Amino acid sequence: MKGGLALIEFIDVNKHYGNFHVLRDINLKIEEGEVVVIIGPSGSGKSTLLRCINRLEAISSGELIVNGTLLHTKKVDINQFRRDIGMVFQQFNLYPHKKVIDNIVLAPTRVLGLSKEEATKTAMRYLKRVGIADKADSYPAQLSGGQQQRVAIARSLTMNPKIMLFDEPTSALDPEMIGEVLDVMRSLTHEGMTMVIVTHEMGFAREVADRVVFMDEGQILEVAPSSKFFAKPQEDRAKTFLSRLIHH
Amino acid sequence: MEKFNVHVVINNWDRYWEGFINTIQVSLMALVGCFILGTIIAIFRISPVRPLNWIGTVYVEFIRNIPLLLVVFFFYLGPASLGVPLDGFVSGTLGLIVYTASFIAEAIRAGIQSVPRGQSEAARSSGLSYVQTMLYVILPQAIKIVLPAVGNQFINLVKNSSILAVVAGMDLMYFADLINSDTFLPVTVYTFVALFYLVLTVPLSFAVHYMERRFAKSS
Repeated sequence: MKGGLALIEFIDVNKHYGNFHVLRDINLKIEEGEVVVIIGPSGSGKSTLLRCINRLEAISSGELIVNGTLLHTKKVDINQFRRDIGMVFQQFNLYPHKKVIDNIVLAPTRVLGLSKEEATKTAMRYLKRVGIADKADSYPAQLSGGQQQRVAIARSLTMNPKIMLFDEPTSALDPEMIGEVLDVMRSLTHEGMTMVIVTHEMGFAREVADRVVFMDEGQILEVAPSSKFFAKPQEDRAKTFLSRLIHH
Repeated sequence: MEKFNVHVVINNWDRYWEGFINTIQVSLMALVGCFILGTIIAIFRISPVRPLNWIGTVYVEFIRNIPLLLVVFFFYLGPASLGVPLDGFVSGTLGLIVYTASFIAEAIRAGIQSVPRGQSEAARSSGLSYVQTMLYVILPQAIKIVLPAVGNQFINLVKNSSILAVVAGMDLMYFADLINSDTFLPVTVYTFVALFYLVLTVPLSFAVHYMERRFAKSS
């Protein structure tokens, strides 16, 4: 832990879909500037946990405090709250009817109230950063998957968020494009961005994570610093999970 | 047997023309009106807000399942019984808007629901409101998808505008009835009316085909 402020705090959080208990007694504190990677088998609740942080999913019980906001109360101005939290999706979710640049400036102009010029300037800065400034006037369908995901990251960054959430950002990519997206994410970690990442890229997790959260069947089974977790996982379930990945 | 007689048109050109212009006006106004109303009803239909959802559903199920003639009568006779009569042109146009909007709403609802969920998740997670998400992200994509279906409704709308004749709405069909009662040449009179309608609907039909082809290509 980096000893900063707790930006995200789950306290005894549970979530049900009907009879299905998706999240069980989640307790987790994430500090400012921390990079936390959530891993675990499919269906373990990783993505659901992540999506609770910006309330794309509601929780059933417990308390969830993000960026000083008690998220599960009705009074929350959710649009105001969400401008500080960027999210990158597995399927990129770029707007297909808008050019790259218009994808990026939509939220800054409509949510933050920036002028088109200001927003475009910031957008171009981030497009340059993710290495595809020359694609500003292209449509998403004209880009490769890796390029689309980099646009999606630039789109989130242009809002100048305090937290970035990544929901399996490389799972829909061809293997040769995974690297370019991970490079962009890696450079973000160097800048002290608070990041919560759900991924199956174990090498990347090991390299960038301050802490690793291991989940199975809706529970957090283990939370440990990355080096410690990968060298010597404590839980049996985590051990089998890792050994299967490594020997496969 | 009735002889086909071009002089019927030439002698009655003014009345044909006035009816034709009025039919175009009704069609254009109703087209804009039912598109806007239909979009609003579609958004009601999929709204997470219960009462709106309910209003949208009731609207569609009621209006779609009664004859157009009754909807037009409602606007023609209803206000009159309250002491504020509407003329045939206005009540006919209103009836067409309300009726056609129920079909447009269903087409647009299907279009909205065919836009992948990730689109609204991306928009909402960036802080855009529900309404902004609809306006800037979902509707532009949905409308592209449903343009052919909506176009077909527009063709129906032009044809259905002939209902105005029943409430003295001064449209093409209304004047045709007048011309017929003067000339007693129904086959000639109404054949020419059909040609006037075709002048409007055939280009629309081509536009729909064009959009269908373009959409098939881009997807």
